[in-house]
Amino acid sequence: MFRYVVWAIVAVALAIAFVVLEPFFISPSAHGAGPQGLVGEAAPVFALRDDRGVPVSLDRYRGRIVVMNLWASWCPPCRAEMPDLQRLADTYGTRGIAIVGVNEGESPQRAREFADSLKIRFPIWIDGSQQYGRTYAALGLPTTVMLDANGVVARGFDGPLTFAEMQAAVAPLVRSH
Amino acid sequence: MSATIAVTLVVVAAVVIELVLPGRSVYHSGWYNVALAALAIVAVVAGRRSLRRAGDARLRFAVTAMIAGCALAGLAGVASGLLAPDDQTFIGAPGQRLRVESLGVLTFPLAGGDSAAAGGVTLERPLHAAVTIGERPYYAGNFVLRATPRDVVYVEAADQRGNRLTVTQPSGSVFLSPVLLMEHRQRIAGMELPYDSFGVPAAQRVVKAVMFSAAQAAMLLRGGARLGEPAVLFAVDDENQRPVANAIALSAGGRAVRAGGLVLRGDAMTYPAITVAATPNLIATAFGALLVFCGLTAAIVTSLTKRPLLPQRSLGRS
Repeated sequence: MFRYVVWAIVAVALAIAFVVLEPFFISPSAHGAGPQGLVGEAAPVFALRDDRGVPVSLDRYRGRIVVMNLWASWCPPCRAEMPDLQRLADTYGTRGIAIVGVNEGESPQRAREFADSLKIRFPIWIDGSQQYGRTYAALGLPTTVMLDANGVVARGFDGPLTFAEMQAAVAPLVRSH
Repeated sequence: MSATIAVTLVVVAAVVIELVLPGRSVYHSGWYNVALAALAIVAVVAGRRSLRRAGDARLRFAVTAMIAGCALAGLAGVASGLLAPDDQTFIGAPGQRLRVESLGVLTFPLAGGDSAAAGGVTLERPLHAAVTIGERPYYAGNFVLRATPRDVVYVEAADQRGNRLTVTQPSGSVFLSPVLLMEHRQRIAGMELPYDSFGVPAAQRVVKAVMFSAAQAAMLLRGGARLGEPAVLFAVDDENQRPVANAIALSAGGRAVRAGGLVLRGDAMTYPAITVAATPNLIATAFGALLVFCGLTAAIVTSLTKRPLLPQRSLGRS
């Protein structure tokens, strides 16, 4: 009997020794994640205003696929990408996809002038303190994040997308919608 | 037997102290870990001798439990001391998520202009509910986490007409953050001052920001800095790092100033960083200490309930 108790204690001690030692063979090191790192997580939502001062929020798009594009007027690739986003809005707007342009850190006037110069008709939101840019881990501008109908991040892209790339990215979301 | 008990208690006490007072450099030093391992070995060897001499089954159980507990706690302590990494401080920008291997994901709260959304740093671990890390230590597996406040600066930039402009940190941990983490140090007038830099791409400007605490500002600066207010000194260059006209200005108490064709505002504030220190595994140490306690209790009970030998009486008539 005593021998069994000893062996039981030794077995438990060995199991705990494994638990004690194992984590130290992986040293803690940190790395940041780009927008793709948020895939599968609920999209962070902040209350903003659009370029006309009207309060807006991602919550009101729940049930629709959202393509959220972070941009600024000083960013040449953002300017190049904008017409393709408008084309995406024109093509898929009636199929349950919402396109939202989130201006990072600029004034509403500057954002509106820029959008008007490119004949942009999809909603333009003003993120003065760059909350979306920070929280969605933008590595630069433009950054595009696609949310499914449940408000979960489905795709994240760093850099400009062509219209074909946008279509390829939203197609699976549209099919599963 | 008494030697076994004494050495066992010393080993367990040393490891428990590492848990209660984490983050001391001595725990990672060679001599400390050699001493701890030697004490644990002495306890095991002395315990085995006691085991051979123990006739009572309860006493043998007591000694075995004490040896096992001491070995386990000693192993936890030495493993932590020799294998664990040194203490690390994780500095994250507001809104940033840092994935820390073998721990989980640290999410840093927003701050500055969006202070309504601010809170503590949260730790998300697999199979655990998310927790907010505060200044009190939080034990997570083989590590203890604690939030420590750091000085940061929230900046805003605008053009001469007051139109707000995007602030970027191309060399920072988060590209689109207006919160400068002030991780660099510069010596000015014998004082080590934190500084950082940011870009304003719309105006083709790069801005260096040097932070003065309230006391430093009162000692060093005039013009703009009031007593008791922290201040931020801005130095503006063009995007090729060439100086521009009227490029230096002081923003005290978060007031806006003009420099290098920009309107700049700097707000000094504190923001949490997370210090991670390795500790002996909590479960192993607790289990080891429990075994030692059970063994000690069993040994005391055994010695108290031992039947005393009766003195032999003389049968002869007096």
